[in-house]
Amino acid sequence: MRPWHWLFRRSQEERELDEELRFHLSEEAQLRIDRGESRESAWRSARQDFGNITSAQEVTRDMWGWTALERAAQDVRFAVRMLRKNVAFTAVALAALTLGIGATTAMFSVVYSVLLKPMTFPEPERVVMLWERQPSGRNNVVQTHNFLDWRQRNRSFLNIAAYLGVPANLSGDGDPVQVPGVRVTSGFFEILGAAPLFGRTIQAADDAVGAPPVAVLSAGLWQRRFGGRTDVLGQKIRVNGVPCEIIGVMPAGFEVPSLAADLYTPMQFDLANPGRGRNYRTVARLKPGVSTSAADADMQAIAAQLAQERPEDDYRWGVNIVPLLEQTVGDSRSTLLVLLGAVAFVLLIACANVANLLLMRGSARRREMTVRMALGAGRWRLLHQLIIESLLLSVSGGLMGFALAWWGVPVIVNSLPAGFPLPRSGEIAVDYRILGFTLFLSIACGVFFGIFPVWQMNRARMNDSLRQGGRGQTASSRGIRNALVVTEIGLAVLLVIGAGLMLRSFLLLHQTDPGFRLEHLLTFRMLLVPSKYPDAPRRAAVVEQMLDRIRALPLVSSASSIHVLPMTGGNSGTGYYRLDRPTPAIGAGTGGEISVISDRYFQTMGIPLLAGRDFDARDRLNAPAVAILNKSAARQMYPDENPVGKRMNVFWSGTPDVEIVGVVADIRHDGLNVEPSPTMFLPNAQRPNSFNSLVVRTKGDPAPVVAAVKEQMHQIDPDQGAFEIRTMEQLTAQSIARPKVQATLMGVFGLVALVLACVGIYAVVSYSVEQRTREMGIRLALGAAPLSILQMVLREGLFLAGGGILAGLLAAAGLTRYLSTLLYAVRPTDTLVYASVSATLAAAALAGCYFPARRATRVDPAVVLREE
Amino acid sequence: MASEERYQNRIELLQGTLDMLILRTLQWGPEHGHGIGLAIRNSSEDVLQVEHGSLYPALHRLRKQGLIDAEWKMTENKQRARYYRLTPKGKKVLATEESRWNRMVEAIARVMRPATK
Repeated sequence: MRPWHWLFRRSQEERELDEELRFHLSEEAQLRIDRGESRESAWRSARQDFGNITSAQEVTRDMWGWTALERAAQDVRFAVRMLRKNVAFTAVALAALTLGIGATTAMFSVVYSVLLKPMTFPEPERVVMLWERQPSGRNNVVQTHNFLDWRQRNRSFLNIAAYLGVPANLSGDGDPVQVPGVRVTSGFFEILGAAPLFGRTIQAADDAVGAPPVAVLSAGLWQRRFGGRTDVLGQKIRVNGVPCEIIGVMPAGFEVPSLAADLYTPMQFDLANPGRGRNYRTVARLKPGVSTSAADADMQAIAAQLAQERPEDDYRWGVNIVPLLEQTVGDSRSTLLVLLGAVAFVLLIACANVANLLLMRGSARRREMTVRMALGAGRWRLLHQLIIESLLLSVSGGLMGFALAWWGVPVIVNSLPAGFPLPRSGEIAVDYRILGFTLFLSIACGVFFGIFPVWQMNRARMNDSLRQGGRGQTASSRGIRNALVVTEIGLAVLLVIGAGLMLRSFLLLHQTDPGFRLEHLLTFRMLLVPSKYPDAPRRAAVVEQMLDRIRALPLVSSASSIHVLPMTGGNSGTGYYRLDRPTPAIGAGTGGEISVISDRYFQTMGIPLLAGRDFDARDRLNAPAVAILNKSAARQMYPDENPVGKRMNVFWSGTPDVEIVGVVADIRHDGLNVEPSPTMFLPNAQRPNSFNSLVVRTKGDPAPVVAAVKEQMHQIDPDQGAFEIRTMEQLTAQSIARPKVQATLMGVFGLVALVLACVGIYAVVSYSVEQRTREMGIRLALGAAPLSILQMVLREGLFLAGGGILAGLLAAAGLTRYLSTLLYAVRPTDTLVYASVSATLAAAALAGCYFPARRATRVDPAVVLREE
Repeated sequence: MASEERYQNRIELLQGTLDMLILRTLQWGPEHGHGIGLAIRNSSEDVLQVEHGSLYPALHRLRKQGLIDAEWKMTENKQRARYYRLTPKGKKVLATEESRWNRMVEAIARVMRPATK
């Protein structure tokens, strides 16, 4: 049978059934007439004999099988008619649902794409990152020796690869630029299951010391630098001054875990001189059938061996295995889940609102329902009808919400600032899977708010309401409505408190004094080409020459350098101890952060010198080694003494013992939300680093100075590029971008919740006033003062609001601790926030009640009584 | 809810018997709905008052089960009516229903009048 057949069959069957029944009645009547009954009574008794014609038709129709579908279609038509009749109701409900479902869909699409969706390469769940575990338990990058031993001794992994993010200077044709590059050991691409777009990736032969230099390009770099030409294979590209053969191009979308990279070159470990520093990230792929926990046991055993074999490096150090997805997602997980929870609460409030609207309309429609029931409509049929109406509303709202998310999510994701800390943001998509979620959510919502009117109808006694002229409002439905409003207000309080905490936290963060002056400060991140500057004297000299030229620029007031810029999320660390005390036991030493700076760094940044002197021309390579401590380090090492003139040992890659020449104030180097750590500063002139970012304090607007500074850099070294040029204000904003977005989104959600809750309480109180118009009229007629009526209504509203606020405060006290990891310097039970939110909600609720209360006092008793 | 359940129970109670009576009536040849109702009433000597309303659902049910066929024809009074007719399958079902019925009647009779046996 053709699937559309029933469409035609339906009307035909219907007609035939009618005709058949008509025929039956006429035969029956004829029979009786023949027997001598009057025509009229014959027809009457024929009908009587037949029983309920409509019911016979309905039961017969039921047997046609497809009537369930057909009846649903009928109900939908009826529901559409009902919804169109109540434009205001429908518009409000649809708007609330569209926003609620749309926002939830949008948030879910982000959560799904970032947290849940498998990564886009084969068997991603078998890829892990291996970290060294500091004695404190934190993850640390890996030492060459340890990596090599892990790779050789483990029995759990198909392969382990190390990689290191290093900026790469590209020169040759055009402007020298520095791009983010990554050096990888062979096997790296295989572990990530990544095949090149064309060409080949880095093989073991490329990774041997002395092998001809090769490079693999990212799709982005290939497009930008080579216009996507396919003849790049075999061409040479100058990387850090060395011509490298291009052997392959990676496809778009290939990402190096927790790094950005445009150029991939072989690691080529110098096994003769591997160094003791910890530098590398590693990825590994589990052998088939080996679980993460088995691999963990394997690695812990190896780490224990290594700690015994090389205690000077590995005493109390261990290994941490982190699944790649977990590593990639990182701490954005808690943010995303909190936001999803918040938006789900908004949706819940929207649903409660719609449920309330439906309940009120349900009361108004009770008469209609009663009449339909009296006319023979089955009770089940009416319930069916109510559910269909709810589902029609929720699914329409859901589809519009999906459209909203489909349109809005890409807009929002594209508008995130570059470098915004949201992993996998390129993978965020609102697609058919999300549509499935939306539909499920819509139906759940429809059932949720549809259940209340049904429940109400089931409890109401139909004939009662006919008798009451449909004015009655049963206690039970009023109870449901009030409970819904209290829930709404409670949820709104919870959300607004969450928003308030985040806002307060962000404001505190924003106002935090970093310890230096942010404005008019330019930064240039760069890496000195190692092949060009292989030794300390040359590295020290080139930075000094650049700084000399830059300082001479008219718009520059001061300039210096530092190896890891402030506000970029981290710093180097090392161990040190006092030479005038016994050498601490292995693993029991003190330490902190370390920065390699040029002279005048403190002056350029605006960091006060507290004691001693800055580095200066005296601190040459061959002069006695010196260091400066920040206040925290001074307090840590010399709690009651003046550190200036004291001598210390530093582990930092072969630094000789240093003499402390100065103490400076603390700054928040790692980020505004991170308390200053003890820090030791070493002069770049003595311990020059390949990573060296320039900091330039300008006399006015920094923008025009950029070109001039670049020009001076190129005059010293035409191959040298800077890979990131930012103002310090930009870096700082970037470092607090996530708290900012969190606070903004929570603020928006909180505001929507507040508005919805106000609409909710307004609607409930106005409805209650409307229902009680007669009572008010009588009270007024009997001499009640309008003021007392006003008070009565307000009391009712405030009673609801009070209940909601109380519930919300309790919920917040219990739930906001999940926010604690996202908050800075604010306790999850911050009294100020709780108090001000309660006051705001109370005021908003009062406003919501005031207008209906005013209306109640204006009831004209005469009109009300005449209506009877 | 309650009223709906009661209603459906009643149909189910009648179902088996009414279906059999209809099939039985159609054994004599094609007949329209009204005629079937009349035949049942007459042959039961007016004891079985079939509520005509329940006749049509039953007819449709039997038609769906493929036990009877329907065809629009003219009556002797030149009126269009839907005539029902037993299908071969219907005949078979009627035979088994009849023997089942007979067995049941005997069994009930034995219980109700044990003395006469």
